[in-house]
Amino acid sequence: MKAYEYYKPQTIQEAIYLMERLEDARFIAGGTDVLVLFRQKKIAPKNLISLRNIKDLIGIEERDGLWIGCGATHSDIMKNVFIGQHYSALYDAVSNLGSCQIRNVATIGGNICNAAPSADTACPLLVLDARVVIVGPTNKQNPPVPSSEKAGLPAPPFFEGGQERFFIEHQVDIDAFFLGPNKTVLETGELVKGFRIPSLGDNTGSAYIKHTRRQAMDLPILGVAARVTIEKDGENLLCNDVRIAMGVVAPRPIRARGAEAFLKGKTASDLVLQEAGEIAASEASPRDSFRGEAWYRKEMVKVLTRRAIMKAIERAVQPQEVK
Amino acid sequence: MDTLSTVGQRIPKLDAPSKVTGNALYIQDLKIPGMLYGKILYSRYPHAKILKIDTSRAEKLAGVKAVLTGSDIPVFKFGVMKDNPPLKTGKVCSVRDELAAVAASAPEIAEEALTLIDVEYEEIPGIFDPIEAMKEGAPLIHEEMKSNVLKLPWKLVCGDVEAAKTESAYIVEDTFSTQWVTHCCLGTSGCIASFDTNNNLTMYSNTQIPSLAQKDYIEALASFGLKNKRVRIIQCTIGGGFGSKLDTYAYEYLAILLAMKAHKPVKIVFSREEEFFATSPRQCTVTRISQGCDKEGRLTFREMDMILDNGAYTSWGATTPSVMMMPISSLYKVPNIKFTAKCVYTNNTYSQAMRGYGNPQATFAIESSIDQLALTAGIDPSDFRLKNANEPGEITPQRFKITSCGMKECIDAVVKKLDWQSKQGKHDGRGVGMASLIHVGGGARVYKSDGCGTTIKIDDYGKIDVFTGATDIGQGSETVIAQIVAEVLGVTVDDVHVTNNDTDACPWDVGAHASRTTFVAGNSALGAAKKIKAQILEIAAKNLGADPATLDIKKGIIFSTIDNEKNTALGKVLRNAHYVSNGQMLMAEYFYDPANENFDREFKGNLSVSYAYGAHGVEVEVDKQTGQVKILKYIAAHDVGKAINPMLLEGQIYGGGLMGIGYAMGEKMIFDKGVLKNGSFLDYKMPTAKDVPPVEAVIIETDDKDGPFGAKGIGEPGLVPTAPAIANAIYDAVGIRIKDLPITPEKVLKALKEKEKSLL
Amino acid sequence: MKREIIFTLNGEEAVYEVRPEWTLLYFLREVCGLTGTKEGCGYGECGACTVIVDGQAVNSCLYPILEVEGKKVTTIEGLLSADGELHPLQKTFIEEGAVQCGFCTPGMIMSAKALLDEKDKPTEKDIKEAIEGNLCRCTGYVKIIDAITSITGRR
Repeated sequence: MKAYEYYKPQTIQEAIYLMERLEDARFIAGGTDVLVLFRQKKIAPKNLISLRNIKDLIGIEERDGLWIGCGATHSDIMKNVFIGQHYSALYDAVSNLGSCQIRNVATIGGNICNAAPSADTACPLLVLDARVVIVGPTNKQNPPVPSSEKAGLPAPPFFEGGQERFFIEHQVDIDAFFLGPNKTVLETGELVKGFRIPSLGDNTGSAYIKHTRRQAMDLPILGVAARVTIEKDGENLLCNDVRIAMGVVAPRPIRARGAEAFLKGKTASDLVLQEAGEIAASEASPRDSFRGEAWYRKEMVKVLTRRAIMKAIERAVQPQEVK
Repeated sequence: MDTLSTVGQRIPKLDAPSKVTGNALYIQDLKIPGMLYGKILYSRYPHAKILKIDTSRAEKLAGVKAVLTGSDIPVFKFGVMKDNPPLKTGKVCSVRDELAAVAASAPEIAEEALTLIDVEYEEIPGIFDPIEAMKEGAPLIHEEMKSNVLKLPWKLVCGDVEAAKTESAYIVEDTFSTQWVTHCCLGTSGCIASFDTNNNLTMYSNTQIPSLAQKDYIEALASFGLKNKRVRIIQCTIGGGFGSKLDTYAYEYLAILLAMKAHKPVKIVFSREEEFFATSPRQCTVTRISQGCDKEGRLTFREMDMILDNGAYTSWGATTPSVMMMPISSLYKVPNIKFTAKCVYTNNTYSQAMRGYGNPQATFAIESSIDQLALTAGIDPSDFRLKNANEPGEITPQRFKITSCGMKECIDAVVKKLDWQSKQGKHDGRGVGMASLIHVGGGARVYKSDGCGTTIKIDDYGKIDVFTGATDIGQGSETVIAQIVAEVLGVTVDDVHVTNNDTDACPWDVGAHASRTTFVAGNSALGAAKKIKAQILEIAAKNLGADPATLDIKKGIIFSTIDNEKNTALGKVLRNAHYVSNGQMLMAEYFYDPANENFDREFKGNLSVSYAYGAHGVEVEVDKQTGQVKILKYIAAHDVGKAINPMLLEGQIYGGGLMGIGYAMGEKMIFDKGVLKNGSFLDYKMPTAKDVPPVEAVIIETDDKDGPFGAKGIGEPGLVPTAPAIANAIYDAVGIRIKDLPITPEKVLKALKEKEKSLL
Repeated sequence: MKREIIFTLNGEEAVYEVRPEWTLLYFLREVCGLTGTKEGCGYGECGACTVIVDGQAVNSCLYPILEVEGKKVTTIEGLLSADGELHPLQKTFIEEGAVQCGFCTPGMIMSAKALLDEKDKPTEKDIKEAIEGNLCRCTGYVKIIDAITSITGRR
């Protein structure tokens, strides 16, 4: 392994400050993507800035819906009963991701910022209307350089107790966050603070289905998430407020807006679901790769869209039955 | 028959304690003082001329102690066709080709040195399809060979197939293909080469063939200018074999050459990437098969023709046809056989031994075709198999002498446990399928010797040391041998210590292959134990004033079977024999070479002393929308002769079975113009714990007259019939037949859609 | 540049100078000589390197050494009792035939231990989930699952 320096900032300010000051630096959270890239010799930054020790980044809070810090591990999310019950698609994603060992350290922030088209947490966040809270360096102020840095020592914690925040915060919709394979809107020096997910309201259920070759330790051949709010219309269940998202069928995870529009206001009969699946498939543009053939992925969009919607409806109707 | 006290017991593996504590030392864990680390530079292209290799920058890197290219080493080629030099010169024929090797004081330095070696290539168009390679005018992979088709004699003819065709009521014909899969040993390949001041070599190794490797290295040393040197092989704890360590590899010769140049021990250990692309996988095959039967469903003929992609160099993959002949000629009673196989050079990777050694590939074709034939003849596939089942006393067309044979019992077990009668033929998305197997169970005379030696010594207290040539690759041969010896000598396994990992101390053995260890090494240990028992009883007889024939040993006591008063402790007898003038310490040796035969020129002869049989049955459910196949139930019935250790035996059945399921359903090395694309555990779909279906092992004991305590081999049979059993079950479930492995959801869905279309 | 870390290793205080780019796996094997933890792949894909950090099973091949500061690390060598007695998991792996070549065994046992420390009566589903990241080529997993199940008293 090529040599690098490793920093452990304790606050967001420190992390941003270090990123501004250090040459050839990269953020690292759980390390399950970054260290793999290192080992594959695809990257070799001289400095790694760890986000693991920043308290502000690791919380999961039920307020105004749901707040998940970027440093929350997949394990943390999996064990969270509130998420399991109310944001089930996210539970589906993290519980099938990697292995126990990976889930214990890998973070939702890492999964999203790595922005692989196959990122398991992306489709659930897309259907849950997540907003990404981004923090980054200010471009006006230049904080004074502490003398310890001049001495060549690692940057100490600073701004302790003070309220000064030498960073700015803004939000984007998760849908606007992804630009392409491994590409996001994050600019140099920025990092994701966390995800704000609105409360979904009653009669809403969500699901994520990951299509894999084996039952564990697998990337998805493709994945589909759905979220549906059900309205009872006499005997029928009408689908209001539908969201459908698909992964590995485009350069980035995408919403199937055509299928969503089609489904809205309709009863989820077999024929309707079949058509929704066909529309979603027409919105998908999967490629051939050694991991899966394009024609098969397109076919599976049809099947998984149907199944994800049905599962979401099941959960909307019977919210206790989740796992 | 006496009740047995250790044989037949579920005794935990003797080496398990050192493994569960992390104390067992694998090659990865071993360090020798002064040791250097070796790394290998591989080719960038699958087919190219080597114009120039410049190692000057690498040699200057601090910490680098030796750099070698093909022009620095004596002319030497290894491999079964002697076509493989450890470092290539002139041209490269695959991306596995080794171009240079470096030894340095740290692995990171050796790796960096590789990046400083400059190679100039001139690319040549590559051939990646054996059919292309066989065409007129195709570029030659090895110019000196004059043809891309290897000169190998793979042809077996028994009876008259053409005549049999005219007498058949039903005939089926089809083509089946199997893929490259790899062993995925959790412990990667590696060795340490270390010379003493007299240039005698010690190899720390995880080889499965210590005696043969020793011979290979002695010959290599002679080629390298070191004639008449000793070679000692010390086997570390082996992190998995499955056939991957059945041949000697370039990296071993490179470790030796680097050690020679640097005058220091050199360790080479493969990274996981290297383990994937630079070790030799299971032989892939394309098989045309035709089988026929009469009106009653009795098989009349079997005709098979195979094309094997030999890759760039030749290892054991090219010899798999010799083992494939076994199921081809002897799985079920088939009077007329014709088999030919061609091995063709290409610029792909090259294959060697992998658990089953050709049998799984051939059985996939045969057993899929048997189902096709049975259904064409309107006969239930299980009945068809029973009708044609092998029987004890049979002599097959290849002149195998079948002694013990539990094939029918295995098929019956599968039928019963799968509830075959009520589940078969429903075609409603769920189905059942089965397949049988034959494999060698009593050694296999593939070399001139199939022997294994054992020496035993016993100390003053009745503690026994057994030195066996047999290698334990994790299957538990050490434990089985201890059980056999303990049984004969009336002690517990705690009193028996087995040494099996040092050619300086251990006798010759041809290797851990062909599922032969329990049978051959077991018989060898049995013979030595009986000899030493005779010595003990002779001495005891004098002490007790009894006839040795009336004495026995149990629980460390030598006693008379006819006089209760006459008994003495084993230790006492031994000490009395030792601590006198003209004293003696007891030792015995026994080299057991089974009475099997080498093939004659027609590939006929009794390859093994006895044969193992089995049948696997599986119930599947096919998701018609996704093409995914779920295994609802898996039955693995095996005729093992005698289960010396039922717990270890079950371990082989479960392990083999899951490896077979991986072979059938998910594993495939994906190459693109000779380059491996999925050389990682992420993308090579080896089964995980969550992929284990409900599985039941059924052990059938037919008590083989030649096996130690009646036992036969089990190491390989576990994965021979899995693929056809699953393919047959899928056909029963949804009426489609996948003929090329692995059976993926894509293939199933495609076939289902084509079937739908054809029905419209 | 080397940095000093202080943490707990197998129940004892450990003070070491480490290079930032070392992984926990490299550190355990090459610096501490604790070779029980194995490298099977180096990518977090096989679980042979599994150790327990602050009660959680992790792949030590992907664990930066500096993150171990102040934490409790347990390796396979730390499972023996103070009197040198085998841990119940080690005993059951031996007795139930869950060990063949043994290369996956230390990692497998650590994953099982992390599970049992959290749930003392795990279901078969829990067990399979806990070891889904531990690859084994020899056993077919059946006896491993049986071994872990047997000490939960559920069998």
